[in-house]
Amino acid sequence: MLENFLAGTGALFGDPFTIAIFVFGVVGGMLFGAIPGVSMLTLAAILLPFTADLEPAQGVMLFAVIYCTGTYGGAITAILFNIPGAPENAPTAFDGYPMTRKGQSGKAVGAAVLCSAIGGVASALVMMAATEPLATWAIRNIGPPEIFALVFFGLAVASSVGGRTIWKGWMSVLLGLLIATIGQDPVGGINRYNFGFTDLAAGIAFVPAILGFFAVSEIFVQAEKKATGQFDAPKVGMSFPTVIELWMHKFAVLRSILVGFFCGILPGIGATLAAFMGYGEAVRWSKNKEEFGKGKLEGVISSETANNAATGAAMIPLLALGLPGGALTAMMVAVFQMHDLEPGPLVFYNSPDLIWIVFAAMFYANLSILFIGLIETKTILYLLKIPFQFLAPLILLLATIGAYISRGLVLDVMVMFAAGILGFLLRRTGYSIPGIVLGLILGKIGEQNFAQGMQMVHYDLGTYFSRPICSILIVAGTLTLAAGLYRAFASSSNTA
Amino acid sequence: MRKLLVIGVAATMMMAVGGSANAFECKVKETSMDKPGGFPERALTMIVPYGPAGGSGQVAAAMAEGVTGLTGVAINRDHKPGGSGTVGMTAYMASPADGYNVLEHIDDASSAHALDSSRPNPAEDLIPLVISQVTFSQIYIRTNETRYNDWDSFVAWVKAQGGKATIANVSKEGSMERVTMKFITDATGMEIQQISFDKGAPRYGALLGGQVDALFEQPGDVRKFLDADNFKPILTIFDERPSVFADVPTHREMGMDFDPLLRFRGFYVHKDAPADRVKWLQWAFQRGYCQDSYQAFNESKFMTVIDSYRDTAGARELITRSIAQYRDVYKSMGMDVK
Repeated sequence: MLENFLAGTGALFGDPFTIAIFVFGVVGGMLFGAIPGVSMLTLAAILLPFTADLEPAQGVMLFAVIYCTGTYGGAITAILFNIPGAPENAPTAFDGYPMTRKGQSGKAVGAAVLCSAIGGVASALVMMAATEPLATWAIRNIGPPEIFALVFFGLAVASSVGGRTIWKGWMSVLLGLLIATIGQDPVGGINRYNFGFTDLAAGIAFVPAILGFFAVSEIFVQAEKKATGQFDAPKVGMSFPTVIELWMHKFAVLRSILVGFFCGILPGIGATLAAFMGYGEAVRWSKNKEEFGKGKLEGVISSETANNAATGAAMIPLLALGLPGGALTAMMVAVFQMHDLEPGPLVFYNSPDLIWIVFAAMFYANLSILFIGLIETKTILYLLKIPFQFLAPLILLLATIGAYISRGLVLDVMVMFAAGILGFLLRRTGYSIPGIVLGLILGKIGEQNFAQGMQMVHYDLGTYFSRPICSILIVAGTLTLAAGLYRAFASSSNTA
Repeated sequence: MRKLLVIGVAATMMMAVGGSANAFECKVKETSMDKPGGFPERALTMIVPYGPAGGSGQVAAAMAEGVTGLTGVAINRDHKPGGSGTVGMTAYMASPADGYNVLEHIDDASSAHALDSSRPNPAEDLIPLVISQVTFSQIYIRTNETRYNDWDSFVAWVKAQGGKATIANVSKEGSMERVTMKFITDATGMEIQQISFDKGAPRYGALLGGQVDALFEQPGDVRKFLDADNFKPILTIFDERPSVFADVPTHREMGMDFDPLLRFRGFYVHKDAPADRVKWLQWAFQRGYCQDSYQAFNESKFMTVIDSYRDTAGARELITRSIAQYRDVYKSMGMDVK
């Protein structure tokens, strides 16, 4: 492995043009990942035709690098302005933005940079060591019932995040689940709750909903404070997390690497579920669950480690089996095909040089996050010094463009503002915005896999328990749920 | 040894595909055409009702490249996925009928109209510029499957499972896949659970990993798994055996007497667009089909195995026939045909 890695490194850095492509991918991924709506997918779609003129290894490597750095890029705007660049950065905003409000922006951004790099590098190392056996294991043992059980397991702790009480937390999650049912059902294609609007047949898209619930509702909250004389501008915190702080979170990092890697390896799942599950596990294992959603460093660490850990993992089913894990890896299939190659088992035999250049590039791209991220952080934090009356319209403008551009539908802009108003009202009454977003995103993934799983087990729920991984996750989720309810009842009794 | 065997099989298959492709002859002889009144003087917009990475996204990109290479006119692709193509179709119908807006769509538009006549009829409410991909479906199993190895043994095994056997497809209400599966199950008397996966990767992964027993798909979409010797077809749902799959029986040979429903992807323009602009677009897209880059793309997708080309008249005939066929079967299935 080391020999192949060094050969890949030599090929990557032995040619000035290849180096230029690598640098372009690193910087481009970070920039496009940071702008809401204009994601790394936008950059990839723009670049796709041009990859035909590149060497096959250069084209595939460029997309792999964009995938790594683009997944990280959205964390910065999530932390500083409550605008997740992409759905996989949404859990980062849960605690990252409250940290910014508390003057700990430097700490949050520093943790995001470091943990994205750690998650990505660890994932790249495992990818290099065991791509083929891991891919084969995943498709043999993980099907729709297991993915549904994983989502159920994740949702079981969702009520703990951000709500004033556990009941309000649950109401928020259930509202998110309800919103997730808008649009065609995932199996039969039957329209639900679209009220005659054709555009709603596709459901509520993640990007406008997230922009509305996070960015727009936050603008409304701060505007209200400004109007009532309670506005307190966020302080620019330049202190990075200390080595001791990071060491104290070593288990959170390790856990998120495992969770992110596991989610990333599943075909069609990818970094979004990884980030939410990583965050959910941090909540589950914490003794201070009530601190999540209010500015806890562990929340940022868990989310950002997990989503970047999913990037290397998502390459495993793509390269070993030809199964893309998400939209960007699906575009990589097109890059392969432009050069008369097909990702899958034969690519290891036919194009080993290409594979190792890509592996090496992903490893160094994740390291680049660390160095470039730390350099850019020093300057980007000063954006917080822009007065609110200038910053708010700019954020609203960016969010509006981001909501529209993702699908080119005015409906998405309306959804964003509706979510913003709803989020504003719910936050005033102690409901949890992270809970709603968790419900929305996990609900869509969970419903689809539940329906497919039910078809696979012939509508016999008991059969779920004959599948070991599935039954372990459902039992663990149920126990978590029961423990949470017990604590809630106990707390209510004590209060009474 | 196994690696060598896999490579050998793949190489043989690729050679077979290359050797069996139909000799291509462009049916549009004019290599250039004057722009009517200077049209188009700016880039065209192509609405694609599916994401950029899927089959529609890829064919849209390939055709855009072909047309741009031929005419020098840029084409901006605007992806509007969702609702089995209805979101993109609605957006297209609301766009100006000035010839600058074109639409990519698949046979889903025909089946949607068959089920609900208030939905646009692609043959009448739109003008087909060209249908550039026509393909058939097949049933696949894993190559290393031990429980069955051909269509007969598969049917026997499925019947023995008492409805517990599974097949992965895109089995949304009224879809081509579901209708075809109804034809097959009616004809064979077997009962099989259809598992609907709307994305390709989980669908193919389900068969690779043994989560399902078989897969309903078109050959171009699973070519890499055929080349890698992961999947093998056991039934071709087409009237004759394509030479590439000469050893795979057709549904008719297996005693199933129904007209196969084809998967097709094509390009359209508003019926109210100015006639001279429509004529230029028809030339550009039909000739774009002949471009080397587009032909190479179709070749890579197994889309030259049968005739993939339909001009405007041929497209209308294919669409109208498909709509009638869908409507008949929907009625026989007791569905609410509007």
